[in-house]
Amino acid sequence: MAVIEVQNFRKSFGTKLVHEDVSFYVKKGECLGLVGGSGAGKSVILRSLIGLEKPDSGSIHINDEEITRYTEANWRHLRKKVAYAFQGGALFDSMTVFQNLSYPLKEHTQLSQIEISKKIQAQLADFGLSGIERLYPNELSGGMQKRVGLARAMMLEPEIILYDEPTAGLDPYNTKKIQELILNLKTKGVTSILVTHDMPTAFAVCDKFAFLKDKVIKEQGTIEQLKNKNDGLIHQFIEGNIL
Amino acid sequence: MNKVTSPLILWIEEQLYFLGGITLLIRDCLREGFRKPFYWNLLVEQIYQIGVRSFPLVFVTSTTIGMVMALQFGFGLEKFGGKPYVPRLVASTIFREIGPMFTSLMLAARVGAGMASEIGSMVVTQQIDAIRALGTSPIKKIVLPRILACLIILPLLVAMANVLGNAGGWLIGVSELGLDPQFYYRRILDTANIKDYLSGFAKTFFFALFISVPSCYFGLTVKNGTQEVGMATRKAVVTSSLLILLGDFFLAKLFWIIEKWL
Repeated sequence: MAVIEVQNFRKSFGTKLVHEDVSFYVKKGECLGLVGGSGAGKSVILRSLIGLEKPDSGSIHINDEEITRYTEANWRHLRKKVAYAFQGGALFDSMTVFQNLSYPLKEHTQLSQIEISKKIQAQLADFGLSGIERLYPNELSGGMQKRVGLARAMMLEPEIILYDEPTAGLDPYNTKKIQELILNLKTKGVTSILVTHDMPTAFAVCDKFAFLKDKVIKEQGTIEQLKNKNDGLIHQFIEGNIL
Repeated sequence: MNKVTSPLILWIEEQLYFLGGITLLIRDCLREGFRKPFYWNLLVEQIYQIGVRSFPLVFVTSTTIGMVMALQFGFGLEKFGGKPYVPRLVASTIFREIGPMFTSLMLAARVGAGMASEIGSMVVTQQIDAIRALGTSPIKKIVLPRILACLIILPLLVAMANVLGNAGGWLIGVSELGLDPQFYYRRILDTANIKDYLSGFAKTFFFALFISVPSCYFGLTVKNGTQEVGMATRKAVVTSSLLILLGDFFLAKLFWIIEKWL
């Protein structure tokens, strides 16, 4: 059963058409790698899946519910189950790391301060970030901000996670850590979409790929299908022959 | 022909967007303002940021304005023997116009600019998106605490500005114009009728909205980078100030009509 299903998605900004007719689906526990050149509009799709952008036409189903006509109040409910890991972290700069991570817990759970604190310590340890609770985002490196952003997105243990370039700018050690985290979440049945240019990570964690080019999905399939297709667009994209 | 008309059309278009945007923002505030949860801690924080931290500015401006007014009225009226009218003139002008208007203009410059740039920066760094993505409302978290804090704090600041302005006038009246301190004080109390005070006081609620709503709107509509944050800040200050100045005229007229009825 498809947890996420996008059909005939069309989106433009002013006179600039970004997506003409995009369709794909992701089944429960699957990770879809959404790849394409810079500016192809991969993040726009992710943002539309969480209601930060509204499609011009087409439909988006999450858990069989059509969400394109959702009101902001409906979205707020859905966003407890669907997390979006921002490319740059999008941390609240007036809050410490601890406050950033406690934000979703305080808003949506009845956990006590002690339980919240324990959960945050465990989450930071998982991300290799122990000891930075009291620091502000501007005191962290770009990579650390990104990881704190990821940690915050996962605090509510969502059913669906949308990763926007989660490994860009990270060193190999932390890239591997993120890969392990995504794989670990997959084993727990979390459905995800990964937007990335980091193809080793994409191959490590994704079950299937969709290649976005010229406002449509040009090619999609499982890793096995794409590996056997040497003249395929994704293959050429990885080789650097096309944008 | 197109070259002549297009800037005008663009300007009209911009004003219509502004009016539409403000209307939608007010609608969202009214819709969300009565729904739980209420973030009282954020409101208190904004009251501190807007009110307490604006106090030194209001203190300096209102005191000096009272002093300057007393000095100018005193020297101007001296040749006509009109110095005894200085307390009455200073007090009623401060209560009716100068107190509310100058305090609001100061707040528009300090707080309006701060709101627009802070919210604009949050938009640019995707913090507003993050608030939404984490299942919360930027209207409740960002906009409403600022509007409510302005509505609460501006009348209080104006009340303080009224006292300080008259104190400044009293200081100059006594030290420079040679008026008797008791006489000056009594004249202020005689002049300070409730109608004058309420006329100025009632304006502050409108001025609070004129400052906070456009400032939040311009901050939230920032799209492309830090340059637009600067533009939003300028627009917020200019729009708030113009609304205060124009609104002051129409509100003054309205309150005169109401007073006549009463």
